[in-house]
Amino acid sequence: MSRRAKVLLVILLAVLAAGAFYLRALSRRIFFEVPRHAEEAARARLNEVALQSRTGPSQTATLYFPSLGSGKLVPETRPITWAETDPDKVRQILLALIEGPHQNLARPLSTATNVRAVFLANDGTAYVDLSNEVLNGLTPGIETESLTVYSIVNSITANIPAVKRVRILIQGQEVETLDGHVDLTEAFVPDPSYIETAAP
Amino acid sequence: MSLPSLRNLHGPGRVLLLGLLLGMTILFWPTRELRSDNFVFYFPDKRQVIPVQMIGQTKYLPILTILNMVGKVGGLQEKRDSVKVWFGETPLEFKVKDRTVRVDKARVKLANPPLVSNGQWMVPVEFLTAVLPRLTNQVVEYPLGSNRVFIGDVKPTSFTVRLDQLPEGARLTLQFTDKVTIRTVATNGKWVMFLGERPVEPLEPTYSFKDPYVKELHFDDQDGLPKLILQPTSTGLNFYPALVEGGKVLLADVLKPTPSAAQQAQSAPPAAPGATPPTTQPGAPQTGAPGSIPSAPSPPSPPLPVVVLDPGHGGSDNGARARDGVLEKDLDAQVVARVRLALLATQKFRIVLTRTGDVTTSFEQRSQAANEANAVCFLTFHAGDLGPDSPQIALYTYAPPSPFSGPPNSSMPPAFIPWDNIQRLHIDSSRNLATSLQQQFMQIAGVKVDPPQGAPVRALRSINAPAVAIELGRLAPEVNSAPLTSSDFQQLIASAVTRVLINLRGGG
Repeated sequence: MSRRAKVLLVILLAVLAAGAFYLRALSRRIFFEVPRHAEEAARARLNEVALQSRTGPSQTATLYFPSLGSGKLVPETRPITWAETDPDKVRQILLALIEGPHQNLARPLSTATNVRAVFLANDGTAYVDLSNEVLNGLTPGIETESLTVYSIVNSITANIPAVKRVRILIQGQEVETLDGHVDLTEAFVPDPSYIETAAP
Repeated sequence: MSLPSLRNLHGPGRVLLLGLLLGMTILFWPTRELRSDNFVFYFPDKRQVIPVQMIGQTKYLPILTILNMVGKVGGLQEKRDSVKVWFGETPLEFKVKDRTVRVDKARVKLANPPLVSNGQWMVPVEFLTAVLPRLTNQVVEYPLGSNRVFIGDVKPTSFTVRLDQLPEGARLTLQFTDKVTIRTVATNGKWVMFLGERPVEPLEPTYSFKDPYVKELHFDDQDGLPKLILQPTSTGLNFYPALVEGGKVLLADVLKPTPSAAQQAQSAPPAAPGATPPTTQPGAPQTGAPGSIPSAPSPPSPPLPVVVLDPGHGGSDNGARARDGVLEKDLDAQVVARVRLALLATQKFRIVLTRTGDVTTSFEQRSQAANEANAVCFLTFHAGDLGPDSPQIALYTYAPPSPFSGPPNSSMPPAFIPWDNIQRLHIDSSRNLATSLQQQFMQIAGVKVDPPQGAPVRALRSINAPAVAIELGRLAPEVNSAPLTSSDFQQLIASAVTRVLINLRGGG
């Protein structure tokens, strides 16, 4: 084999090795990094529209946030100017829960949560489609997940009489559990046993 | 391509093929070989179990967990490929893939480099002997190849083993260096002898015998409880352990059952003069209980009630994580192991686990395990963020997300309940069980216990038996797990559960 051929072979080998490494890195990027869709940005704009479409008189909303330690929900009232339609009102409640409590209470949902869609069926079931960041930064567990679910359900049903029950979807899908503990395969009716009763 | 044609390939063609093969090998070569095991740290007044990771051929331990266990981490400065930790006033610095560790102003070279696995800084096991003694100013004894470390003034007990032939069996004589206590449990065709709370360092991990009655004697303390596991060559043999010479010698006889011996086994085991009877004497374990060794001539006994224990997380599902790196799945497994042993020791229950080892199982598989075993009770164990107090216990029974959507006019219980909602039939009995557990847990000093709460817990929904979820807290990234991993706390939980179940069965 001539000297030139040897040099060519070495270069070829080097190129192949580099290609293999690149292919490996590329496959990891494809399989492990989920691309962000422009769709998410569109949904965020929808949320802003819900907040801007406030036309009614200013009223009071009761939101339920997890207490710090008792495993219960504590009501927090705040003034709100309701949007026109019930689905937009549901969206307003969800955005307020995502924003977090004004008192010394815990967050029920991660601030990164995106409200993807809200539908209201004729039987009074509100379908709430949340992004999968719901529990980002929260420790999964039976208590955490129960409080998250009933914070959503109790807050929505307490403020919007047309909503009798709430079905939670994640990323547009029916999922078995929120994060391994609480069953999400059915619609939830509000559970008053989660609301902290005032100390006697 | 067949081999002759490969041989005929010359020049660039062959190189191209080799290059392709090389590329494919790099592409599909696994990055690391991971395997989990436990490492037990014995201190003069406590012990702690830490999961160890086998990465390649090297055992790795989570550095922050170790430092928090032997002292206090004063600060942490993490960069992309290095971390600086203050142990008290002493700074330590690690770099990924750099075998040199900086300890204050000194440099210590390890045989293997530190690395980050699952977001945790891991150090090779030689860190224990090379660096840890400098930090703690205490004796650190790590028997090479073992999975245990003795820190400070800990003198482990050791023992020698001898096997002698008997006319109808074999006798193992174990001579201990210190007094021990034993408690024997028959399980999975083996006899397990718990050696009390003292740390034990065996000369050999396993003794194998070429004997017609005894196959193997194995030492294990992976869960922090030193124990000997004796495997007989066949089923149907009887076991008579006895401590003599003030608890320093264990005589363990494995005998072929004779009709008279089998009848006597429950009441009067033969013992050497001056023998101390063990805490539990299984003698001829009862027929029909899985995990026991059936003894042919023993009279049939009624089947024991089955308790199903469910470690809430396992396999790919780690659950919650504490600041010191302890994972919920490991904690769940530890607590379940203790509850299981406490229940087995009563000889009043048969125990079924929904998973054995660190495996992933679906809700359906776990429900199936409980329902097929005709369980009298199902307990699922979890840990999570229950608020600032620790230790803390929360109890949950199943509460459906919405009322049963059966015929609206029926006041009677529905004739048909879908199998995956069968827990709806047991809601009252589950609440009673949870209330009994709450009362017993409240007797544990220093533990906050929340009243039972109904919740739509998926793990309970399909269980055809009284079922309760027990969540321990606080296991969260902001706090260390020490109050929950304490063997005393876990043992108190196990005892409380045992008392409740014995009371529920009317004292057995």
